[in-house]
Amino acid sequence: MRSREEALLSEILPPEDRVIEAVVARYQRVAPAVTRFARSLASNDDLRIRLGSQASAEPGEIVMDPGVFQAAYARSAPVTPSEVALASALHEVVHMVATDLDEHRALPEEWFPDAGEPLPEDPVSLLDALDKAGGPAAEAMFFSIEDARQESQNFDLYPGARSVLADLYLASIPGAMGRARPMGQFALACFLAVGGYQDVDTLQQRSEVHVSMALEEARDLIDDAREASDGWETAGVALQLLAVARLHGLLTEASPDESKTRREDREKADQNEINTGVDSLRLMSPIVQDADSYDQTRKAMQAAESLQGRPDDAQTGGDPATEQILRVSEAPDVHLPTGQGGKLLVTPLPSRFSNYADRGFEALETAARRWEVGERHISGELYPLFVANQRRGLQSGFDAGDLSPHAALFLGAGLYQRMFERRSLPTRRAYSISLLVDGSASMLQPRPLPGGVKAPWAMAAATLGAWTLARLCDELQVEFEVALFNRAFAARHDDTEQTYVQRAHRTKGALRRSQGSAADRLTRTVNHYVLKSFDNRWETAKDELAGLFWTAAHPADAAVEARRNPASAPPVSMFEKAANVDELNVQHAAERLGRRPATVRMLVVLADGMTRGSVDALAATVDGAEHGGITVLGIGIGDDTVTNAYSRHQVVERPDELTRAMIHGVRSALRRSIALTGGDTWWAHVSQIENTITRSA
Amino acid sequence: MAKTVTFTDPTGESAPVKLEIFDVPSDLADHDQRAGKIPEPDPHYVDLGMLFRLALVEKVRREKVTDTPLHLALRGHMGTGKDHDLEQFAALLRLPYYRIPLTGEVRDITLIGSVKLHGDGKGGTESRWEDGDITRALRGPALINLSELNAAGAETLFALHGLLDRYQSIDLPTGETVRLRPDTRLFGTLNPTDLRDYAGTQTLNKAFADRWVIWEKGFPTDEQITAMLQRRYPTMAEPYIKVISRLAVEVNESFTATDARTRVGTPMSLRTVLDRIPAGLWVYEHAEDPLRRSWESFVIDHVDPFDRDHYETVWSAVARKGPSEKPFGK
Repeated sequence: MRSREEALLSEILPPEDRVIEAVVARYQRVAPAVTRFARSLASNDDLRIRLGSQASAEPGEIVMDPGVFQAAYARSAPVTPSEVALASALHEVVHMVATDLDEHRALPEEWFPDAGEPLPEDPVSLLDALDKAGGPAAEAMFFSIEDARQESQNFDLYPGARSVLADLYLASIPGAMGRARPMGQFALACFLAVGGYQDVDTLQQRSEVHVSMALEEARDLIDDAREASDGWETAGVALQLLAVARLHGLLTEASPDESKTRREDREKADQNEINTGVDSLRLMSPIVQDADSYDQTRKAMQAAESLQGRPDDAQTGGDPATEQILRVSEAPDVHLPTGQGGKLLVTPLPSRFSNYADRGFEALETAARRWEVGERHISGELYPLFVANQRRGLQSGFDAGDLSPHAALFLGAGLYQRMFERRSLPTRRAYSISLLVDGSASMLQPRPLPGGVKAPWAMAAATLGAWTLARLCDELQVEFEVALFNRAFAARHDDTEQTYVQRAHRTKGALRRSQGSAADRLTRTVNHYVLKSFDNRWETAKDELAGLFWTAAHPADAAVEARRNPASAPPVSMFEKAANVDELNVQHAAERLGRRPATVRMLVVLADGMTRGSVDALAATVDGAEHGGITVLGIGIGDDTVTNAYSRHQVVERPDELTRAMIHGVRSALRRSIALTGGDTWWAHVSQIENTITRSA
Repeated sequence: MAKTVTFTDPTGESAPVKLEIFDVPSDLADHDQRAGKIPEPDPHYVDLGMLFRLALVEKVRREKVTDTPLHLALRGHMGTGKDHDLEQFAALLRLPYYRIPLTGEVRDITLIGSVKLHGDGKGGTESRWEDGDITRALRGPALINLSELNAAGAETLFALHGLLDRYQSIDLPTGETVRLRPDTRLFGTLNPTDLRDYAGTQTLNKAFADRWVIWEKGFPTDEQITAMLQRRYPTMAEPYIKVISRLAVEVNESFTATDARTRVGTPMSLRTVLDRIPAGLWVYEHAEDPLRRSWESFVIDHVDPFDRDHYETVWSAVARKGPSEKPFGK
């Protein structure tokens, strides 16, 4: 049995680790070092390396297409994923830095041994000269040899990365040699020999007889190619290698009466044979693939600049597809207790919702009255519970501190050894409360209300509940967090309706073109919008929450506003109708809660439907959070999924029930925590209000 | 005839410098203690050119710049061998070597001295002057290395201004003036003051800095590290020497990168390269991959967690796997 180091990449890498975002995430771990290597290779400390959907290279900047890296992971070779991440990136960098075929020179006479008349003296580009001297086959042979030469010369400093390349290539030799036609075999053998991946003797054993004979004759040329100082020198060797191939009958012979079309077809066939042979083995780098690809790579930067202006962020691709891939790959991986996991895009809620703050404040007041969520009433109800949990106990046995009026009695009774007592450590901010609100479009759908009418109350009621609790927490200096979760194209913090919609369209289109069926996975992401984080002040978040409430309470009006003023309206289109993945959000919120220095942690989740994952996974996640000391309350809005997933749950059918359920849930948790910490006093007992929370566990 | 020592230019460009060595006079009160502070030449030390440069300055001091003080400070990152250079210079010149670290806690009385109370043997006390670290060193021939020059507070360094400039003396509160002897040399070392984590360092006070000639000391090159390893470990297999040198050079190039996004916060010091990794090779001599095991235990565990990806990427690029032969015993 092979060890893990010797295992084949295709065996150890599950399909989910070969997807583009996983590839990019792996690249990003090696990116700082690769950038530094590239700067050393290019002797340019200011060289910028970034990812983009169109590879390009110019003196100051290199753009690499992550799709090129992805291809490397499909190999069957004894290398590890992190080794491939480094080798594929460094491979791309080496070629981007080393390839410059733009130098113009006069046509070298030795390239045209049969020329009957003097050659023109005007300088031409290397590829034009090569085309004149040897046609498409010469171009293909040149790019193969030049590719190998660059790797041989530039990977010297990085023998570790070079050995990864060698392993990738060597594992592919039998298949590539077996499939290649004679000229393809010869070109492939030249590539491997010039690159130093295999010696000529070994290659001869793998080749057909006449290919082996050609290789024997090409030994010196292969050495020359390895030592060549630039592309022009390599091109000269490539032409001589073609001559050797022709001598041994590896190239198709031209007939004396060949027409122009037939000649072109023949040359194309030779070119194709060379390319097929070499491309089936080498890691593809666009800049040394062929002439068209070279031109495209060299000109892509100028085109991009003329269209969009110079990109100013070295880390983003400057095109929507790559930006989205980077965004997804940078998102944290959330791991569930079941062993499953996934990416979760954690981002602040778009700030434009604060544009509707004034309307939101008014609407909140009206709704609170209508749904009987009197803020003072609730504060009054919960305040004693919070304060009770924040009482600081008195401990005896100090040399200084408060003197109990009963000190003498206690000393006499032997209860105190010393007479002073001191308050135990203050427990302010010993609570952490997190509110997680379903932000899918279904929460904005009209729902039945008493009296037979329908209105979009689910998210509005949830937001009102969040608002009420947030105010209370702020008043009592209890730390809290409010987040919205959904599955849709993720909005950015500075998005307006216009930028959101445009970006979504452009990204989806670009990703469909470059990633095909994976585009949906990359654009419909699991999003966790943090409205107010534990560390932010409530004052900075309340405008956005109020604006969100107005949007939730009047979705039709908000949509009209967005259509009228898309450049300033918040991105209301971000509420897409798609099933959520509740468990990832619950796990993430629970992890954040778990890191808070609190003794009582509580998570309230409001959702209106099935999770897109599995109810079992959600239940396991909730259970895991509960075992970690977090009280998790699931409130289902017109849906009873919560009864199967949350040990503490309630299903509500009316807006007033929802806000009350949230408040009562918190009250219940506080009582429980008081009881657990031994503070079972009269004021902590249920008095007038019926506890409607079901405890099924 | 006075004994001499010859310093040769490792580049071979300049003529060797021959200098007379110093003598510790036998009539000094602390002769025995002082003579014991003359360091022994390190047989494994490789002069990368610093000793030769120091010798050139010493020659000029003796022949041309006799009245003007000329004090040298070496500035370089951790583990570049600054203090080792000065110690070896003292060893070759046979000068007692005093290394006085100037931490932030050092005060002028620590350096110069103070009056201390002593029991008089009759139940009472008497006050006596007690020399500080510098004063004690200045009382005879010495090479004084004020290490971490930029860690001490400016007010502490002000006390040294007189010693470092043309006055070349320290006036003690007792009324005594301690002069800089012709056979005493003052040197200093310091880390560069930049964004890197050299806790406690600060920009050198301009007036204080003006009293020094400051030379930069960079990380050694590939060839220099190779020479050091070969000198110190003659039996180490060549492939190991080659890979260790490359790893150090690449990591240190990342450390000195100007772009914070592409640099590491921890360099590979000479202590790591010359002491720790070889020690790891001995420890894991019989392991399947001794260099990898040594790298994991003696290098990776030593660096900051946020540098580990970068270190491991350098490892993969430069080595990927350690040499297959045994590390020692070629």
